[in-house]
Amino acid sequence: MKKLKFTDLLVTIMIGVVFGVLMKFWDDLYTVVKPIMPVARQLLYGMWFMVGPFAFLLLRKPGTAFIASLAGASLSAFAGHGIEVLMYGFAQGLAAELLFAAFRYRRYSILIAGLAGIASCLASFGLDLIYGYAALETWALIVKYGLRTISAFIFTGIFAVFIVRALEATGVTSLIRPVDKKEYTLLDQ
Amino acid sequence: MFNWFTPKRETWLFRVNPALKFIVFFAFLIITLVNQSVPFAISQAVLYGIVFYVFSGYSLKKLSILSIPLVISFLSTGLTMLLFGKGEAVLWQWGLFKISEESIQHALLLGSKSLSFGFVGFTFILTIQPVLFFYAMMQQFRLPSKYAYSFIAAFRLIPAVTEELQIRRNALKVRNIQFSKGIKGLYERLQSYTVPLFAQSIRRAQRIAVAMEAKQYQMGAARTYYYPTRYNGMDRVFLLVMIGSLCSAFLLSVYL
Repeated sequence: MKKLKFTDLLVTIMIGVVFGVLMKFWDDLYTVVKPIMPVARQLLYGMWFMVGPFAFLLLRKPGTAFIASLAGASLSAFAGHGIEVLMYGFAQGLAAELLFAAFRYRRYSILIAGLAGIASCLASFGLDLIYGYAALETWALIVKYGLRTISAFIFTGIFAVFIVRALEATGVTSLIRPVDKKEYTLLDQ
Repeated sequence: MFNWFTPKRETWLFRVNPALKFIVFFAFLIITLVNQSVPFAISQAVLYGIVFYVFSGYSLKKLSILSIPLVISFLSTGLTMLLFGKGEAVLWQWGLFKISEESIQHALLLGSKSLSFGFVGFTFILTIQPVLFFYAMMQQFRLPSKYAYSFIAAFRLIPAVTEELQIRRNALKVRNIQFSKGIKGLYERLQSYTVPLFAQSIRRAQRIAVAMEAKQYQMGAARTYYYPTRYNGMDRVFLLVMIGSLCSAFLLSVYL
């Protein structure tokens, strides 16, 4: 198992923190949308699940999804969103991490990333149940969490994978990803 | 911006070890999270409200500004639950909106919980210094130094990140970029902000890590600390006061 070096750790936490800043701005959009369009609001919700899977897709190392999610949540908590965000970040990051672990950290496709997002979504649903957000009428429950699941897949699967591809084109990923076996064999030639 | 967060007076809460304060608050909020009893949720909200308004040491004006988001979140979470919550004993119905006795209970529970979280969260943020919090986590709770220093370094870079976001926003405005409608536009918007932001931040974080290692920062090595933090008498007072008041909040909710 590839262990995290200090560089990986700092980059992971940095990704979490940048997401925290972005989420702060995203929150402004979300708050504007919130009262007028409850459907659109749930469709924007996937942004909150994106940080963990995104970090894993970028660094491709075990532990990054969980740590980045926790870092993003702690920045949000410091920015005034309250400590409950930290609990959500913890649960969501753990769920995404476990999903990647189930595929032995070897799959980076849209499907797997999207499933990680849905796992995070399920974890947040579990916390909502305990908190009391989920005591809604059945139709409202299905609409709310159904839309949120779709949004989770779109953001963590499709959006995250495409943004990571765009970042690969800039060349920064070569700084932080583990060196591939193919690259070693190229050296031998 | 940061000057705003200077208190009018430093109350006893400021002298409590920041890491201990965090652990205690976090544990108490887990109790808030799992609690399903409405009277206890309300008495907890009152208790944390007292802590926030009396002991945070900030002027009433600032405290009332900070209360605005708390009131909004109380109303928005409470109202959704009130109108769409499940329940049999219907009191009033109009189309999809339905108020029942159960949904009133759930709304009160949810509203009080969100108030409790808000009060405790703000009290914590207002009475600590983030850097000392991480130092105390390393010294009193054995958080590995690699995590603490990564957090401190990343937090130090936040102003740079927000500045870059602002520059990017202006650059897009100057070039008069038009985004598509719908979900495609959402992606375009996200990509045009995140890609430059992440590319820069990753490079910067990687350079800092290399520089720290070049200056002989070693993960897991025994070390001394620039800011020593320790427990003092105030910590014992804090623990006793918090546990005592939570117990009395519980008893009040049972017997009233």
